[in-house]
Amino acid sequence: MSTSTAAMADADTTRAEASDAELTELRTAVRDFLASKADEAAVRAAVDSERGYDDKVWAQIAAELGLPALALPTAYGGDGYGVVELSVVIGEMGRVLLPSPFFSTVVLAATAIVASGDAGAAERLLPGIAAGTTTATLTVPDRAGSWEPAAGTLGIHATGSGAEAVLEGSAPLVVEGGTAHVVLVVADGPGGPTLYEVDATATGFARTTLRTLDLTRRVARIDFSAAPARLVGEPGAAASVVARVLDVATTALAAEQVGGARACLQMATAYAKERMQFGRPIGSFQAVKHKCADMLARVQVADAAATEAARAVDGVPGSPDPGVAAAVAHAVCSEAFMAVAAENIQVHGGIGFTWEHPAHLYYRRAKASQLLFGGPAVYYERLLRRAGV
Amino acid sequence: MPSEPDGSGMDQFVAEARAFLDEHATRRAHTSDEVAWGEGEDRITYFSTDPPEVEAAKVAAAKAWQKVRYDNGFGWITGPPEFGGRGLSTLHDLVYDGLEAEYDVPDTGVLSLIGLGMIGPTILAHGTEGLKRHYLPAMYAGDVIACQLFSEPGAGSDLAGLATRAVRDGDGWLLNGQKVWTSVAHHAAIGLALCRTDPDKPKHKGITAFLVDMSAPGVDVRPLRQMSGGAEFNEVFLTDVHVPDDHRLGPVDGGWGVALTTLMNERASVGGEGAGAAGRAVALPFLTELLRANGRLDDAAARRRLAELYADQAATEYLNHQALRRFRAGEQPGPEASVSKIMYGQNLTRGAHFAAEIVGPRLIADTGEWGTFSWTELLLATPALRILGGTEEIMKNILAERVLGLPKEPSIDTKSPFRELRRSGRAEA
Repeated sequence: MSTSTAAMADADTTRAEASDAELTELRTAVRDFLASKADEAAVRAAVDSERGYDDKVWAQIAAELGLPALALPTAYGGDGYGVVELSVVIGEMGRVLLPSPFFSTVVLAATAIVASGDAGAAERLLPGIAAGTTTATLTVPDRAGSWEPAAGTLGIHATGSGAEAVLEGSAPLVVEGGTAHVVLVVADGPGGPTLYEVDATATGFARTTLRTLDLTRRVARIDFSAAPARLVGEPGAAASVVARVLDVATTALAAEQVGGARACLQMATAYAKERMQFGRPIGSFQAVKHKCADMLARVQVADAAATEAARAVDGVPGSPDPGVAAAVAHAVCSEAFMAVAAENIQVHGGIGFTWEHPAHLYYRRAKASQLLFGGPAVYYERLLRRAGV
Repeated sequence: MPSEPDGSGMDQFVAEARAFLDEHATRRAHTSDEVAWGEGEDRITYFSTDPPEVEAAKVAAAKAWQKVRYDNGFGWITGPPEFGGRGLSTLHDLVYDGLEAEYDVPDTGVLSLIGLGMIGPTILAHGTEGLKRHYLPAMYAGDVIACQLFSEPGAGSDLAGLATRAVRDGDGWLLNGQKVWTSVAHHAAIGLALCRTDPDKPKHKGITAFLVDMSAPGVDVRPLRQMSGGAEFNEVFLTDVHVPDDHRLGPVDGGWGVALTTLMNERASVGGEGAGAAGRAVALPFLTELLRANGRLDDAAARRRLAELYADQAATEYLNHQALRRFRAGEQPGPEASVSKIMYGQNLTRGAHFAAEIVGPRLIADTGEWGTFSWTELLLATPALRILGGTEEIMKNILAERVLGLPKEPSIDTKSPFRELRRSGRAEA
């Protein structure tokens, strides 16, 4: 560690661990809260709002439930839990497609800050993130969109040395980039891919909210023109930070995908029980019944993959290699959610193809989240590399 | 296997098992992950295709090893002590299996898959005191192999449609009919037979279960050659076979409940880890060597298919880990276990077809090249994985009805007397 980035308190050795009963309690608390604050009507209202999420619900998530703090280090206002606990929360948010800056702020940005080992950045940013008063995001504008930054592949260049730099370029797809207070950027620096922090109020910082496939997760383009930025971590050290972020983020995303897939399965099953055709519930026909069984099988396998990955990323003894498990979960859960979201529409028939029915919201989320970190071509190849092939 | 202190004396059990195995067996030299491509026997077996003398030697070795286990307290870890068991939990059983997998010991599948895994628990649950004392210790000591006389040519997925008759005959019963797909019948001393005792009752309500002496007059076991070429299964013809009434399991016409016990134990045993030659062949290390040997390691299309397969294999393994963790926490395995079985069959099938694509035309005929034609054996076995132990379709019905709660199809055959039902191979009334 250089003097500019004092070593952070090592939070990993003191990771808190929830018991099975506590995890169930956490799940119930989040589910109950979301049932009252984020039903379909509320989600649709948030989608149509200017910022894309309900600010009051976000404030309650932070102040009443304390969820942003859950998996942050205790030294910076967090509760010190891990990805296992975080996954429970994200899974519930995924079930209802909650529009919120949780994923971008807590999963992407906070993980990057912690992984950078930069105590100054952690002191500056994590307490606000834990309290829900700071929203943030992370962008890795590599040309392939695969979140694997290498020198010369990034769309943003940094000039300047030491703690201060100036950014030039553009990040085309920034999750919740339209509202985040702070944007962490991986840019081509003098020493290679480097992580920087940019304040959204900085000069030379311009953002454009984009039309999105997934209506429940906003994406923006951010243009940097001589925007002042602050170094986070070591110069040229962003690749290893992003590698850690990728493991945590794809694992959390897997939990979110399982939540969404489970909601689709429940929707399809409930409809198959009540929809009558030919004088019988359609769920009594094997063509429909077996489709539902296939969906269940996919959800069960995906759930196992997401759960195992969370344990692996947290370093729970006896779990598989975290890089492999995260890559398995990312592939399996992406595929499962997409398949189940599509089959849900099929089980519903015509009604499932209407704007009014929520099925398309899940279909949109499924496809967008499958592609968020590069898509199948990227995640399958990454899996093989992680497994040593 | 972990041996955390959980209040069950597991640490001590592990130490004892380890000492037993060290004394009576040799540890495997290689871990199963290591692949020596091009070396060793060029066979990818799923069903055994051994010549009779080799098979007989393997059965003898299996019985001998089971005897050693039994004499040292590891023959029936979960069984009640009064019948030769150890009286420990299923977790102890799993822990022991994990330890034993590190050693080179004879495969005891001929005893355990059907007899010890399914028939034993059924006798324990439904047998009279006399039957339990007579058979259970002998079975778990490796002396008695048991088979399952359930499926019939006219009763496959619809097992309750079975037609083998049992009629009263003095102090016992006279059995007539045909059973099929009977594993290990040619080695078995006893068989658990489901028979129709009252055709005037609805199909589930007129069935009775019997333990049949496989050496009794009128029992004719004939090998059934399956599509892969070998004859692992049998047809069993029962012609005027006399069974004493004290060899009945459960009440007269109460055989369906007995069958459910057996089937529950079957579903618990199928779909576990993909061990064995076939499981190792379709696992990532071996398939990677297959690609390397065929110059396809940089072939993007091949890599993509391999990755898709590996992702599902790994996730299935994670599913089994999770089931094991739940089990340790005291949860009983539910019908969800069918997911594991479906995935296991699919993954093995995909692996065989993937390998076939890489090997290409060298799979058509035996060119003598190592690691090519040998895939035919697995390829020809995989269709069975979607059928045996409950077809994929039946598994999906179970998942949909018992887990998701979807309605059953309107039934047209559960209320009428059995003799009035339309059945295959029988002229319509």
